[in-house]
Amino acid sequence: MNRRTVTALFANDLRQLARNPRVLVFAVALPLVLWPLMWFLTSLTTERRQERIESRTYAYSVADEAANAAGAADARAWLDRALAVVGDDGGADGAGPAGGPAVRFERLEAPDDVPAALEEEQLHVHVAWEAGDGEDLSDDDESAPRIVLSHRADLDASDSAEGFLRRALERTRTEVREQRLAAAGFESPPEDLLPLERIETASEEQTSGLFLGRLLTAIIVMMMLTGGSIVATDALAGEKERGTLETLLTTAASRVEIVTAKNLSILAVAFATSVLNIVNIVVWMQLDLIAAPAGLKLVIPAGAGLLLLLLYAPAAVLLSSSLLLVSGRSKTYKEAQLLFAPVMLIAMAVAAIPVLPGVELRSAIVLLPIANLGVAAREILTGHYDWPLLAAAWTVTAGAAALLARASVRTLSAEKLITASDTDAADLAGGPALFPRRVARWFAVLWALLLVWQLNVGGGIDSRLLIVTNMSIFGAAAWLMIARYRLPVREALSLRNPPHAAWVGVLIGAPAGLVLADGVVRLASLTMPIPEEWIEAMAEAFGADIPVWQMLVFFAILPGIFEEIAFRGVLLHGLKSRLKPVQLVLVAGIAFGFFHVDLFRIPGTSLLGVLLVIAVLRSGSIYPAMAWHALHNALALGSARIEQIRLPDQPTWWHYVLAALAILVAFRLMRQNYQRASHPAGSGPEGRVPGG
Amino acid sequence: MSTVQVEVQDLTKSFFDQSRGEIKAVQEVNFECRGGEILGLLGANGAGKTTTLRMISTVLQPTAGTARVLGHDVVSDPVEVRRNLGFYSASTALYPRLTARETLTLFARVNKYPAERTKSRVEEMIERFGLGDYAGARIEKLSSGMKQKVSIARTVVHDPPVLIFDEPTVGLDVLNALDLQKAIQELREDGKAILFSTHIMSEAERLCDRIAIIDKGRIRATGDLEGLRAATSQHYLEDIFVHYVTGNDTTE
Repeated sequence: MNRRTVTALFANDLRQLARNPRVLVFAVALPLVLWPLMWFLTSLTTERRQERIESRTYAYSVADEAANAAGAADARAWLDRALAVVGDDGGADGAGPAGGPAVRFERLEAPDDVPAALEEEQLHVHVAWEAGDGEDLSDDDESAPRIVLSHRADLDASDSAEGFLRRALERTRTEVREQRLAAAGFESPPEDLLPLERIETASEEQTSGLFLGRLLTAIIVMMMLTGGSIVATDALAGEKERGTLETLLTTAASRVEIVTAKNLSILAVAFATSVLNIVNIVVWMQLDLIAAPAGLKLVIPAGAGLLLLLLYAPAAVLLSSSLLLVSGRSKTYKEAQLLFAPVMLIAMAVAAIPVLPGVELRSAIVLLPIANLGVAAREILTGHYDWPLLAAAWTVTAGAAALLARASVRTLSAEKLITASDTDAADLAGGPALFPRRVARWFAVLWALLLVWQLNVGGGIDSRLLIVTNMSIFGAAAWLMIARYRLPVREALSLRNPPHAAWVGVLIGAPAGLVLADGVVRLASLTMPIPEEWIEAMAEAFGADIPVWQMLVFFAILPGIFEEIAFRGVLLHGLKSRLKPVQLVLVAGIAFGFFHVDLFRIPGTSLLGVLLVIAVLRSGSIYPAMAWHALHNALALGSARIEQIRLPDQPTWWHYVLAALAILVAFRLMRQNYQRASHPAGSGPEGRVPGG
Repeated sequence: MSTVQVEVQDLTKSFFDQSRGEIKAVQEVNFECRGGEILGLLGANGAGKTTTLRMISTVLQPTAGTARVLGHDVVSDPVEVRRNLGFYSASTALYPRLTARETLTLFARVNKYPAERTKSRVEEMIERFGLGDYAGARIEKLSSGMKQKVSIARTVVHDPPVLIFDEPTVGLDVLNALDLQKAIQELREDGKAILFSTHIMSEAERLCDRIAIIDKGRIRATGDLEGLRAATSQHYLEDIFVHYVTGNDTTE
């Protein structure tokens, strides 16, 4: 990448923006004034409304029927006492709710038509009382005397009057009750009974950090997107519309240089406008024109600030790449502006996840870009550092940012940018030619589906039913993909006869693979310990009450068949033409690991996935991988139950060396024999081992 | 004889459209262009001229065949191809808010022209194309004639040995078109290999050293005007063109 070229393009973008006064005024300057102004006006309006509510005189009336019923005297006395507090002679000041402001009430004659009087606002609240049959106020019978307030919730004054009067009546009720308790011998005031005391052990920074941490990511994402979209719209969609894109694409600037420069422009403007907005709000707060939310302390320790800056860097690139991608895919400036709305909604929804209570970084959330950094930021601000998880969150978001940046580069290479052609050969032909491009999308949806299913339903049902459901999902997805893209089944699933020695390879490889996988799990548990609840749940799920044959069928044979069909069959087939052998092994293997949603399970199952992918590629057949997988699961279950095949409690390094050697032997057996069996003299390249 | 600067062999391009299926825009096109030569691609609208030139400028990827610019392959070495190439067409616009000088500086840098010589090269271009009085004015304020001069200057500012002019006179008035043709002739004198596409016969006749007649994505004939006349027994290029495209002799 040529720095001079990138700098020239970057400077050009900024110059274009700086010379567009309309954009500067409407997208940068105006929001600087409008946001705080809106904030200021909202609080001013609220303040004024409160003043108006408290300063006006409310009209009320009291019904006088039913006064002769039994118990009415008591109720009437209570009512009169409450009304005396708020005042009943026009203009008399009365006390408002406890600790609240004084309000004025004016008593009117009860009208004949109360609803009409309330609607016309001649009256704000009407007090009726039902004497009932009881003889005492303390009677909890349904027919006890009660006071009924009529008002209009849709009219400000009526609603406020009802609130003030209700609180006065409730306060009177409390006083009456306390007097009666005192009369009955309970002399202690209620606050002396079992007094409560709160002790806050978190520091003020931690409490404030939690408040700020919940909102920080959402605020930053909103500011970055708002600022970034100013440049992003123009970055590619605008260039396309102006006709400068083709000029640019025919220069010696590479696509990577163009995308880098555009991303830098978006980031620079997004960063600058975010800083401007934050400084602007702080200045308004300092001038006391707007008030900071209660509980918010805008002080971040230097170390945490630096860490946050580092943490948000990939998120910023992710956002700018998303905007650039949208701009690149839009035909016009207007279309780009239209498409930014869903991007903003999605990004904001993800960025708001730290607000949810109970979401921790040590969960599947670490795999969700931006949300993971949001939760990480919250944990940093409250002083709870989880370094391995912070690194994982950063890596995941950085990976997503790199993928999106790569997609932007590919967008710039797309011929649709400058031709009327709306598709390409694979799109038009569909079927097997299109599948390699769609396979990642299918498995992403499948992953999301399984995640939702396991998080919401999976825990509460029989483990056998769970396995059957999961396998059905894998089987159905594989069948759908094969049918939708008209894939040749034999080729897609590698349904070929393996050489005989491959079975020996399986017998050697599966136990060795289990030892290695166990080692990886042990290593991973240094940073991601296996939760006790999970161990207990597994012990219960695979308890002795399940017969051995069922254990084998449900937890070894079914996964061995269906997971292999989905992962080493369809997924591998789809990725084969797009990745180099080493990439293929890693991507297809690790993808399998990620389907075992719990974080601590991912490393071990990824290793198994990698081994099984190699088994298929070396043998050219899926059958040894199926057998390997089933045997692996059976041995893993068996080692928990049967002493003779238990994995060593304290494995040493030579266990792993031997296991690794055994796996090499297993793969060697598979390949040598496969080549002899599948490639007789003159046979074609079909089924050839990649990299061989 | 100058060396071959552009070499095109069996260049083919298909587009795919949901409604029209596969469209073969260019089919097995072959030609070459040497330094100090203007090769004209003469064809009707939709004949495949622009698609061919866009493949050579690496904006489109060939479906089959190869194209090389100074020996650099358009697929495997696109950046080097574009570094040695200047592309001008009616659809390649300029940044309206840059001045002429800024435009030339930008394109010299982006095309990786040596940093230490950029400033003098920009001033040289300003002088050569008569932009002195307007070099500090924004492009959006210039007349279309001046814009066109800036466009040519930005095409050649990095001194590429190969130039592509894709229907450059479309939309220009007669005087501006003549100015442009004059500039192209001067560039030929500088030793540039020039690919020039047009559907205007007189333009091809006046400018091109050799002409390739292209129709429905195929080259029907290539040669200098005399050779084409001799091969078709037609005098006017218009008649020669019709001869190759329709197979009809238009001589009365």
